[in-house]
Amino acid sequence: MKPLILQGHERSITQIKYNREGDILISCAKDADANVWYSVNGERLGTLSGSKGTIWTIDIDWMTTRILTGHADGKLKMWDITNGTTLSDIPTFSNSAVRTCGFSYSANLAAYSNDDTMGMKCCLSVLDVRNADSTTSAEPVVKMQVTEQSGKITSLLWGNLDQYIITGHVRGDICTWDLRMGRELENISAHAKEPINDMQFSKDATMFITASKDNTAKLFTTHDRQLLKTYTTERPVNSAALSPILPHVVLGGGQEAREVTTTSTKVGKFDARLYHLIFEEEFARIKGHFGPINSLAFHPDGRSYASGGEDGFVRLHNFDQAYFDYTFDV
Amino acid sequence: MPEARMNWSEEVERENEYGELPSLPPPVEEFDKEKGLKIVTEYRYDSNDKKTKVVRTLKVEKKLVSKGIASRKHLAKYGKSANDKPGPQSNTTIIGEEVHIQFISNKEEVEKPEEENLEKLKFISCRMCKGTHFTNNCPFKDSAMFLQAEAGKKAFNTVPGTNILAPSSADDKKPGGPGTPGGPSSYVPPALRDGGKRGVEGGYNARRNDDTTAIRISNLSVNTSENDLEDLVKQFGPTSKMYLSRDKTNGLCKGFAYIHFKNKADAAKAIQYLNGYGYDHLILSVDWSKSTNQ
Repeated sequence: MKPLILQGHERSITQIKYNREGDILISCAKDADANVWYSVNGERLGTLSGSKGTIWTIDIDWMTTRILTGHADGKLKMWDITNGTTLSDIPTFSNSAVRTCGFSYSANLAAYSNDDTMGMKCCLSVLDVRNADSTTSAEPVVKMQVTEQSGKITSLLWGNLDQYIITGHVRGDICTWDLRMGRELENISAHAKEPINDMQFSKDATMFITASKDNTAKLFTTHDRQLLKTYTTERPVNSAALSPILPHVVLGGGQEAREVTTTSTKVGKFDARLYHLIFEEEFARIKGHFGPINSLAFHPDGRSYASGGEDGFVRLHNFDQAYFDYTFDV
Repeated sequence: MPEARMNWSEEVERENEYGELPSLPPPVEEFDKEKGLKIVTEYRYDSNDKKTKVVRTLKVEKKLVSKGIASRKHLAKYGKSANDKPGPQSNTTIIGEEVHIQFISNKEEVEKPEEENLEKLKFISCRMCKGTHFTNNCPFKDSAMFLQAEAGKKAFNTVPGTNILAPSSADDKKPGGPGTPGGPSSYVPPALRDGGKRGVEGGYNARRNDDTTAIRISNLSVNTSENDLEDLVKQFGPTSKMYLSRDKTNGLCKGFAYIHFKNKADAAKAIQYLNGYGYDHLILSVDWSKSTNQ
């Protein structure tokens, strides 16, 4: 397969996501502009310009009308995808970076979390974004403070029916937050004290996969957070995604950024690795990046996937027939 | 990432104001309806102000998609892409090199030689049996091989003339000479171990022999594959190595191949029969492979 290389960023990619239908790919990086791409041919629809500094997180709503970005300077911005204008500069009442954000399923609500730096406490906030415009100065609907033991939130998912939120933390905990009661429901230790870098749902959102610095990715059920499977590698996992059509998991990672310059690309540490969902065994690798992979996303049709790396490139891979013909020998 | 490049037409106008560069022919777009191919020919100046012609062949596909996707397909570009023409731009979207998905059939085989065994092999090697242990842990320590090797080493050290260290051995005989070179602890170059001269010359000859059983077949047709080549040469005798040159971009044969036979006689026979042999409408030319250092 010949991947499409998308060069829209000057610095390392922080997150990439497809929209629900898979025709749009959004990417954000440690530079100021988020990019919007057509996934079919890698054409850039536009950039979301007008902010400064790193964008840590990006999300797109179910109807593909609005994009939410969380910035390192403590800003949360909502954009119109049709023309790239800012719909709303949402005040976060915080100077610390917005680390995670996400629209709820209905996109009536949005959640975000900020870092526990600069004297701020890490909080999970939920906003009503139905009428958000540039004049909004509304307080969050719900604001919940994260416990000291769990540390800051590093990834965030909305649970079923917009009733609860699941968060992954820097000390390896997975917390569940009830929005009606406005408090933490459950706190489980999933990855022994190591940061959870990423969490992604399966296609029907009955399961989610976590990627952690402790060299593993783990699969949990959404409704009761039971550990189902563990995928072990020899290096930190930065991102993990579940195939929507086959029992496959793709893991991306690599070592610490400071060790990258001393590592040859031939060692294979920057490969995307495909694991079998059920047997937890690696069955294939895909080369490409010359830095660790920071974010991965499967196309909703399962026939391609995208990866964003520390090298600043997004690579769009359309799987060969060989991938679909492959059967896993037990 | 460089700044989005200026539209070439603007660039031309700008240059004309200063009268530096002459204008370029307008871009041409041809559309082949039957094959669905669009061929775009553009002219531009490269970084050395040289006129270059860029021909891009694009495949135009029609797909039925949902209304939502179709409506997004016609959005005007914005941000840094606001001035881009329709279609993927070469400064933001590149088609990467071919990547193969590497399937892992047997996990142990793939992982270990790379990570662990290789390192050990590199550092620990028995001088006697070349095993992966220290020499003093060698299981053949008391066997004949070990003793012979030791004896050989001593004999070699005492024969003058064959020894590089001979002058220093002579020193040793003088009273008050420095150290005790020539003794059991003296350095012996690896090539001279195990009885002297054999090392260097033997190794050299071995390589030459390998080269002399190689033949070069040229004037092969572009469609030749490894299998065709094998069919062609296996009748003459067993081969040890086969190399068919291929073009990097399209994988077609570049017209020549090297075959290493196990026996020189077979190679000679192959040259005799195949030189001038008509193969796939071309006449082959076959000769001994010429070594690169000649």
